[in-house]
Amino acid sequence: MSSLKLTLKVWRQPSRDEAGQFHTYHLEDVSTEMSFLEMLDVLNENLIAQDEEPVAFDHDCREGICGMCSLMINGQAHGPDNETTTCQLHMRHFRDGDTIVIEPWRAKAFPVIRDLVVDRSALDRVIAAGGYVSVNCGSAPDANAVLVPKTDADKAMDAAACIGCGACVAACKNASAMLFVGAKVSQMALLPQGKPERASRVLNMVARMDEEGFGNCTNTAECEAACPAGISLSNIARLNREYLKAALTAAN
Amino acid sequence: MSVVEETRLDAKIPGGPIEDKWEKHQFEMKLVAPNNKRKFDVIVVGTGLAGAAAAASLAELGYNVTNLCIQDSPRRAHSIAAQGGINAAKNYPNDGDSVMRLFYDTVKGGDYRSREANVYRLAHVSNLIIDQCVAQGVPFAREYGGLLANRTFGGAQVSRTFYARGQTGQQLLLGAYGSLMRQVEHGKVKLFPRREMLDVVVVDGVARGVVARNLMTGEFETYCGHAVLLCTGGYGNAYYLSTNAKGSNVTAAWRAYKRGAYFANPCFTQIHPTCIPVSGDYQSKLTLMSESLRNDGRVWVPKSADDKRPATEIPDEDRDYYLERRYPAFGNMVPRDVASRAAKERCDAGYGVGETGMAVFLDFKDAIARDGEDVIHQKYGNLFHMYKKITDEDPYHVPMRIYPAVHYTMGGLWVDYNLESTLPGLFVLGEANFSDHGANRLGASALMQGLADGYFVAPYTIANHLAGRQLPRVTTHHPAFQESLVDSRNRLERIRNVNGERSVDSIHRELGHIMWNDCGMSRTAQGLNDAIDKITALREEFWQNVKVLGKGEALNQNLEHAGRVADFLEFGELLARDALERQESCGGHFREEHQTAENEAMRDDENFCHVAAWEYQGTDSPATRHTEPLTFETVKLTQRSYK
Amino acid sequence: MTSLIRALSSSIGKKLLMSVTGLALCGFLVVHLSGNLLLYVGAAEYDAYAHALHAQKILLPIAETGLFLLFILHIALGLITAGENRAAREVKYDTQRSKVIDPSSKGAPNLASKLMVPTGLIVLMFLLIHLGHFKLGIISPGDDASEAAKAGRILSEGFTQVVYLIGTLVLGIHLFHGFQSAFQTMGLNHPKYTPLIKTFGFIFAVCIGLGFASFPAMGYLGRFKETETQTTENRAETPTSITQRK
Repeated sequence: MSSLKLTLKVWRQPSRDEAGQFHTYHLEDVSTEMSFLEMLDVLNENLIAQDEEPVAFDHDCREGICGMCSLMINGQAHGPDNETTTCQLHMRHFRDGDTIVIEPWRAKAFPVIRDLVVDRSALDRVIAAGGYVSVNCGSAPDANAVLVPKTDADKAMDAAACIGCGACVAACKNASAMLFVGAKVSQMALLPQGKPERASRVLNMVARMDEEGFGNCTNTAECEAACPAGISLSNIARLNREYLKAALTAAN
Repeated sequence: MSVVEETRLDAKIPGGPIEDKWEKHQFEMKLVAPNNKRKFDVIVVGTGLAGAAAAASLAELGYNVTNLCIQDSPRRAHSIAAQGGINAAKNYPNDGDSVMRLFYDTVKGGDYRSREANVYRLAHVSNLIIDQCVAQGVPFAREYGGLLANRTFGGAQVSRTFYARGQTGQQLLLGAYGSLMRQVEHGKVKLFPRREMLDVVVVDGVARGVVARNLMTGEFETYCGHAVLLCTGGYGNAYYLSTNAKGSNVTAAWRAYKRGAYFANPCFTQIHPTCIPVSGDYQSKLTLMSESLRNDGRVWVPKSADDKRPATEIPDEDRDYYLERRYPAFGNMVPRDVASRAAKERCDAGYGVGETGMAVFLDFKDAIARDGEDVIHQKYGNLFHMYKKITDEDPYHVPMRIYPAVHYTMGGLWVDYNLESTLPGLFVLGEANFSDHGANRLGASALMQGLADGYFVAPYTIANHLAGRQLPRVTTHHPAFQESLVDSRNRLERIRNVNGERSVDSIHRELGHIMWNDCGMSRTAQGLNDAIDKITALREEFWQNVKVLGKGEALNQNLEHAGRVADFLEFGELLARDALERQESCGGHFREEHQTAENEAMRDDENFCHVAAWEYQGTDSPATRHTEPLTFETVKLTQRSYK
Repeated sequence: MTSLIRALSSSIGKKLLMSVTGLALCGFLVVHLSGNLLLYVGAAEYDAYAHALHAQKILLPIAETGLFLLFILHIALGLITAGENRAAREVKYDTQRSKVIDPSSKGAPNLASKLMVPTGLIVLMFLLIHLGHFKLGIISPGDDASEAAKAGRILSEGFTQVVYLIGTLVLGIHLFHGFQSAFQTMGLNHPKYTPLIKTFGFIFAVCIGLGFASFPAMGYLGRFKETETQTTENRAETPTSITQRK
């Protein structure tokens, strides 16, 4: 275990409507065993000791599954490691003397609430537009009544692994949410349970995605590279396919 | 120091044979006519498996639902972190499972401290859960033929666990979240994320609403309804370090307790033996690894406390495989609590490994030599990967370091068979209640209980309350709402105005140390009494010396944390008192005074075959201990043994 | 029908239209390059081709109109989406760094993909100059004996060589991402075929880019001085070419 001396350039913004700016902090004795968020905990403890308000950042499970943590770390969503959330990023990925720039996710659809905390409810509204199977509780047939080929179930699971953190939007130069939407549309399109609402789902979710102000997909694959859950770009192709099919075959 | 009252709590268990109780009860309960359902407003707090499932199901039935959650999205509730799977008595593998067997295993696993009728119902509805989740598009693991796959879990003798890779909790939660968002789109659920419930509002003795703080703006808000459902999870973070999410807290349950809901069995906490150990003082949480690792890993520490050689250089003759030595029959496979206690004992005796000395080795050297690295990779590849990511050590070549951590809390608000607390109109679901796991929860049963409560129990039992009670029209202008709002606001203001020297986190950490050392996996009367004194002193220090910066009328995470720690500081004492009063060892509660010659837990069925439910008596008086006797008509009381 | 219009004006719809128009334009590029390459076969062959093309009194205007619409649609959608994309991130990052480890293995030629708007605009400028040269005759007009002579003369100018070299190479970069990206946008992604499409797209971009770039390069090397004089000598034999154009 060794320790690092770091310079942190952190975005501070008191509220949604107030202007923000970078503040520079110096931190010593950062253990390489720490997670990135634990490093921020230490920073906050120092700030409190100096009567400065701690930096606000979103986090919850700290084991990489809830999708609540975010952060653009040196220009990379969730930092330099691959298939990793910020909470699972460890300080051993940094070198002594490094300067680390920490910014919030930036997108019109993700307004900053405070410091590094952004509002990602746009993603919830996209799901509300159709990212589910409309089955009321209590009326389901026996779980084994419908067979699902293992390969389809596996592919659906690959897509369903999305943790909804918004890194795809953050990393995309156009702040596009296509990987997020593609993952949910793919999961449902691959499973027989999702078939009845297949067309309306994709049309409604894409319409909502556009309303929320996300950008267009340019197939740069930055989303895939930033995704902590390893969601593949093929899900975006499937989304496009599903959309084209639904648009061409819609009744009106 | 405590007043023990033998008031008998009425659990309202329906009569008749255990197999028929639930159906009989469903028939006997009152119904709300379809057209009348839209006249009722229900408040659901929390969006985990229990909360999201209940909110969605109630909205589907036609009720108007208000749903609050503390995270920025309902999809982030901590149910999402459950890895292993969900049990159901489907008996798809044809290996002899049944509702009766699942029921039996759960009661026995809970060390005979759960309520038979509730557990039977849980096993009974378990199959419906799987049907519902599959219909929602949950991508459960499948066999090549397209049928659902099952696996064994936590030492069960049948394969009854359904799973979605190592992310079952995530997939089940996202299924419930989808159903919830569908109702949000339909306008039947009004969703309020980033809201922290700070009080239950009681009007004429019935829970009629909640006070919440909008975490984005700091504003206090009131919500009014005909019933309140608390689905706010467990209190593992009283220990500071646990496998719970950072935001998990006891506040909602604790406020309900202070408004008249009894708190049951708070001392029943589950400690999981195979977690990644603490690496330093900055540690913020602990990460669990599936206990299946112990199927192939061998647990050891050096024979000499002074042996500082790297693990790989310590020859077999200098290693103490202490579980195999003490429990020759079960070896490394002893139950969670036994393995956890043994690890703590070795570390306390100075044999611990790693930089902190608070870890033991879990070694796969022999398994790799026997089966090859490929086989081990197939079985545990994802866990090894996770371990390496966190510790930067490769478990294929050096032994893992593990240590136990608080993982789940079986205790919670007391509820009757209808999941209603002692505060009428207040229902408690999921980990927040106490009902189904007794003194110890079996693997893959937490997900089952959360969804059972949310999808299949509360939607029925709530009708009995709505149709059966006089519920006069109440709005948020009622004085009770304003009173609760002012209380909650004043409390946070008081915390902000302390202007002391100590950070919230440092106080929480100290509380965690006390809880872990004295109310952890091994407890003594002496330790518990000490803990109570220390917690009381720490609580006083908090109110005199805590330092919270920033405004109340803004996003202020430090203030949020302070409010939760203030409640943990009160709750921790109750946990210790409950542990002190329960003079027996059972499940996750181990009292050193009550053990067999072989260091095994010794239950006292004569004096403690009951639920302890605590009633709040004001800040200055100790809580009153009520009991609900447990009767075992179907499953015979037996002592467990691992010899 | 309303739903179709709505669908085509959505984010995916616009990108779909861009893909289709882009691929159609790729087809045009192949035809155009094939014709141009005749310049290497011989001035006479080139002139004969130009002659035959311009003889199409009905088809040529239709094709040119179609081509014009394809360009307009592709460019307009490009600009519209670029505007939307800018608006989707109002506050820019202080620092932004790619996480795509190996662009070729990750499929999308990452850098090219991020430069579609600038490369598109450069290609557009080049296109306008090119039209000014060959279609409208407003840039460096001349009294050439033949189409080949005209081409030879224009390609021998230093200004042309620089602009055309930049324009055609940037076109190659634009295609490098654009070609394979169009398939992804149309939903054609398959573990077996996508690598083939990508490889083909790469070869296509290189061939088109270098193919077109060869003309200004050869112009610089003096290859078309000959053509110019050659065709001047042959002028008497093919007197129609210029008059027809006028």
